[in-house]
Amino acid sequence: MSMDHSHLTRRRFISNFAFATGAIATGVGSWVVRPDWANAAEAPIKVGIATDLTGPIAYAGNADANVAKMVIKEINAAGGLLGRPLELYIEDTASNESVAVGNVRKLIQRDKVDMVLGGITSSMRNAIKDPIVARGKTLYIYPQLYEGKECTPYLFCTGPTPAQQCDEFIPWLIKNGGKKFALPSANYVWPHTLNVYARKVIEANGGEVVFEEYYPLDQVDFSATVNRIVSNKVDVVFNTVIPPGVGPFFKQLYEAGFLKNGGRLACVYYDENTLNINQANEIEGLASCLDYFKALTKDDPASAKIQAAYEKDFPGNFLFAAGSAATGTYRGLKLWEAAVKEAGKVDRESVAAALDHAKIAEGPGGPAEMVPGKRHCKMKMYTAVAKNGTYEIVAHSNGLVDPKEC
Amino acid sequence: MASSFAAAFEIVSFGAIIVLVVLGLGIIASMMGIFNFAQGEFVLLGAYVTYLASAHGAPVWAGMVAAPFVVGALGFVLEALIIRRFYAAPIVAMLGTYALGLIIREAVRGLIGGFYLTVPEPIGGSIDLGSVHISTWRFTIIVVTLVVMGACYLLLARTSFGLRVRATLENPALARASGISTPLIYGATFAFGAALAGLAGALIVPVFSLFADLGIRFLIQGFVAVMVGGVGSFIGPVAGAGVIGTLSAALPWIMSPVVADVLVFVLAIAFIKFRPQGLISGKGV
Repeated sequence: MSMDHSHLTRRRFISNFAFATGAIATGVGSWVVRPDWANAAEAPIKVGIATDLTGPIAYAGNADANVAKMVIKEINAAGGLLGRPLELYIEDTASNESVAVGNVRKLIQRDKVDMVLGGITSSMRNAIKDPIVARGKTLYIYPQLYEGKECTPYLFCTGPTPAQQCDEFIPWLIKNGGKKFALPSANYVWPHTLNVYARKVIEANGGEVVFEEYYPLDQVDFSATVNRIVSNKVDVVFNTVIPPGVGPFFKQLYEAGFLKNGGRLACVYYDENTLNINQANEIEGLASCLDYFKALTKDDPASAKIQAAYEKDFPGNFLFAAGSAATGTYRGLKLWEAAVKEAGKVDRESVAAALDHAKIAEGPGGPAEMVPGKRHCKMKMYTAVAKNGTYEIVAHSNGLVDPKEC
Repeated sequence: MASSFAAAFEIVSFGAIIVLVVLGLGIIASMMGIFNFAQGEFVLLGAYVTYLASAHGAPVWAGMVAAPFVVGALGFVLEALIIRRFYAAPIVAMLGTYALGLIIREAVRGLIGGFYLTVPEPIGGSIDLGSVHISTWRFTIIVVTLVVMGACYLLLARTSFGLRVRATLENPALARASGISTPLIYGATFAFGAALAGLAGALIVPVFSLFADLGIRFLIQGFVAVMVGGVGSFIGPVAGAGVIGTLSAALPWIMSPVVADVLVFVLAIAFIKFRPQGLISGKGV
């Protein structure tokens, strides 16, 4: 008799299992933002956001979700799309591919969204693109700067590619730093692929790569690397080491006198968020090349308007920054809006056909347009240098830069 | 010559950081028989206290002084509430402390918003010796590590508190019969181990910046150090930490860092295979 209480019976297992399944299915990570005007004649258009609301890069994911809320609110305030309101569905990808795939399926199967935007890391994009594009038969927009080579049909990329981040930036570095480059890198796909492209541009412009080296993602001691950089008299450190390693690495470089001897730090994912990893004097002169910096708001009224609207709605810690895909999210949603307007309907084929050549006149950092047939986005690129804890724009592209993908 | 001096300094300084992190872990493992998987999060809390102090305008060194006391007090409370229930089941204790660590880690992640935050060092800059630049703060860490190591040794080997700790470890029943309050000793030992972790966190946060996974980064290296050094004595884990810290800083100088990272663990496993009792076996100080 007493055995019954301690043993897991089949009935008990099934009831526990059902409870757990229910808890997972209804989830705490699901958010629905409904429009104020529910009296529309037609059903709302559903926009799905799948991003990292929790986990190590939650600061980026939450900023992206905030941008989506802001853009959808603006579109709804202006009368919606095709006379229909927009409804926003936000799911957490949690920096965990298996959780993400489950949550993305919810967007597709339960909520039946018309489009999914999201994913920040490349591994996340690779995990969720199949449930969205192939099995889900839904349009997918990926907003983050990345290593390129993503040419899946119905998958549109709105962040910068290696060509956009290197073509103008590396010649600038050679002119304002020197010819001898070091490529210290975290050991995963983005640095490996970016370095292949960067090396080509460096050598084409008369520069030289002294060494290219990869480190475990959690390495925090870089004394051997710093020593190689200093003893080889490297001019430019083109860094793709990521947090947590990047902070100690830059600090050790600073302490070894790299900056004092005229060395130049360069890092193409550095935005306003990452400035806080080090003290200002440790990264003085660090150069980055992105599609947007907050410093632009001084000269570009369109950027200033977007930045001000974001800060009014979301005055917290989650910054509107290019490195966290916030600008790519804005651009992606606005390009999609333009495409839906042109298509006049929301089915995948029509919107994809219109998105293929969609343009927006105003966005963070300037206008943007899709390159027809390439599913990547032309945009203006800016080179900025860290000065005393903020960025100063030192160069910008003439017109829109081609992504050179697909 | 200059380069090899710089190399030696960097290797010793990373070794010192690992020793500092492992001190508390080693004391709790050796003196209490508990493998505390929340030790990394005690390190994180020490770092967080230091960050809080500097973010609220207090001098950084004040945060560094406060950190071991705050974390030690928390350790004392946690021992009385949770850890105490696990002494009879060391395996369950591992899971329990792991859960505890997870709670602390995610709470801190929430508090700092998942960012990486800089904490300035109280003594910044570098000491210039000709063409070689040595980080002043890393040098300070080496000095503090030596002092703390010496003080811990004296506390355990030369004071009556240390004697009671060792007595409680050797034979709890006899210790109780001799009038030693073993629960209090266990609580104090755990709090002391936690305080050392808090101090380690406070001292290393200017080097590595504050982020939620700061502690977990050192936990695995810490446990490998304890295994290599040998559980049971104070000096064993410290010696192990010296070896592991030095190896993991030295190997990247002569080979690809990705290979070096793995090789440290391979060497440690091979060593434990041939000398399971560790570098220094036996109980005591």
